[in-house]
Amino acid sequence: MSTSQRLRITVDLNKCVGSTICVQLSPSVFALNDQRQSSVVDPTNDTAANILEAAEGCPLAAIVVQDAETGQVLFGAKDAAV
Amino acid sequence: MPLVTDDLMAPDVMTDPHSYYRQMRELDPVFFNERWGGWMLTGYDDVVQVLRDPDGFSSDRMRFLARELSEADRQRFAPIFDVLSQWIVFRDPPDHTRLRIVLNKAFTPKAVERYRPRVRAIVGDLLGEIEGKGRMDVVRDFAYLVPLTVILGLMGAPDLDRDLIKQWSEQLGVFFFLRADEPRRREIACEGVTSLVEYLTPIVEEKRAHPADDLLTALVAAQERGELSEQEVIATCVLLVFGGHETTMNLIANGTLALLRHPDHWERLKQQPALIESAVEELLRYDGPVKATVRWVKHDVTVGGKTLRDGDRALVVLSAANRDPQQFTDPDRLELTRSPNPHVAFAHGIHVCLGASLARMEAQEAFLGLTQRLPVPVVATDELEYHPAVVSRALKALPVEF
Ligand code: HEM
Ligand code: HEM
Ligand code: SF4
Repeated sequence: MSTSQRLRITVDLNKCVGSTICVQLSPSVFALNDQRQSSVVDPTNDTAANILEAAEGCPLAAIVVQDAETGQVLFGAKDAAV
Repeated sequence: MPLVTDDLMAPDVMTDPHSYYRQMRELDPVFFNERWGGWMLTGYDDVVQVLRDPDGFSSDRMRFLARELSEADRQRFAPIFDVLSQWIVFRDPPDHTRLRIVLNKAFTPKAVERYRPRVRAIVGDLLGEIEGKGRMDVVRDFAYLVPLTVILGLMGAPDLDRDLIKQWSEQLGVFFFLRADEPRRREIACEGVTSLVEYLTPIVEEKRAHPADDLLTALVAAQERGELSEQEVIATCVLLVFGGHETTMNLIANGTLALLRHPDHWERLKQQPALIESAVEELLRYDGPVKATVRWVKHDVTVGGKTLRDGDRALVVLSAANRDPQQFTDPDRLELTRSPNPHVAFAHGIHVCLGASLARMEAQEAFLGLTQRLPVPVVATDELEYHPAVVSRALKALPVEF
């Protein structure tokens, strides 16, 4: 399943503690890197609803989801958005 | 013989664990403590490595504990094991993952933000009673009431008897937090667990009959979908009541003590309430409620250049990591604006505290209320005493005048 809206997903590695929650909730988008922190492997590989649920599920609020075209923040800390 | 004591319960270690663990880290950050019977990890990088590695390190402390008991004792303490072995904090994947996903929704930063107004009101009510008195025991009159009231409200059981619950939780705490001054600790904890289970079971059944928009109803619904067992529902209720207040209570008490020992910080927070978020993170780092946790090694693994063997246990010292100078500049200094502040007071990895966002929000409201409403208090005793415990950093009382 893929999302029609193009999303930009960022993980703040200063916040991520490697809980793996995002990985459980949206396993084709998030994966653990060598440091066992979350990294985005494919931002198109899930529904926007699932991706947003994963971002919301992060206990550290480390994930920011934006509309890739407009830059509008769909979930996450506004100040963390790039 | 090591140059520093290997007695984790020595009186000096209880009063000032930070100096002790600093010495330990300087001596050897990966130290095998013969007396305790396991490794002590006191360096930040090593602590994070272990907490992020559930394949190498097990949290199933109940299984290991059961192994050390005789068959007779296992029978005797069955009530405790039956409940505790279901607790998420003692499970490894895949059971851990299943439980965590069910519970996570109710505890996300966004979900708990909805409770902030209620928490603010609870804090306001308590301080309204305290304000005119000029004195209080921060632990008994304030710190314990905030989180307990909040968690009962969140679970959907706001009218439960807080004094009874407090008493049973304390009994349970005797067991958990290794209050080794109590020889009957396992018996006491059994009584506590049994009472809590008996008390909470009909309340859960009530939710099954009359669903509402609260956490207990969500647990029952998850059970009906086959995601939780019946035992797990009750055990989780006990865990939330217990885990939901003992630790937060200690954060509020330890943080109040840190602030009143730095009156300029108290004043600064009063003038600049916007500092509250980073202030709470710093109080967590500086003197957090959970000094350490334990992991069991699942297969040989290298930590800080040493090999930990399959079946070894490790004391993962969170408060030592939080004061490692390689990670934090001037680690023994309280700095309310410290940023970044990647402390491990809530642990790291898959078991990172489920209630972290809730605890943060409660502590923010508690310290905002205290600093806004009260002048800087002074400690009204010559001697502050901590419960003798390896794991928890818990003041017995904090009498103050203001
Ligand atoms: C300042 C307050 C708190 C601190 C410092 C704290 C600390 C911790 C730590 C260090 C752990 C990890 C234990 C381990 O890995 O062995 C943990 C886990 C846990 N905490 Fe907290 N906690 C606090 C408040 C709370 C609250 C308010 C709740 C519940 C409402 C809670 C519920 C839990 C649960 C359920 C776990 C197990 C999570 C898992 O295994 O995935 N805690 N906590
Ligand atoms: C929230 C609920 C928690 C429960 C229910 C719990 C429970 C327990 C229990 C039952 C034991 C065994 C006691 C014994 O050996 O007699 C234990 C040991 C321990 N727990 Fe917890 N714990 C909880 C949270 C934590 C947290 C947050 C930490 C720390 C982060 C922690 C750290 C430890 C440690 C260090 C031990 C010592 C184990 C040993 O010596 O083998 N626990 N805990
Ligand atoms: S949910 Fe958050 S903390 Fe957990 S792995 Fe994903 S980004 Fe990291």
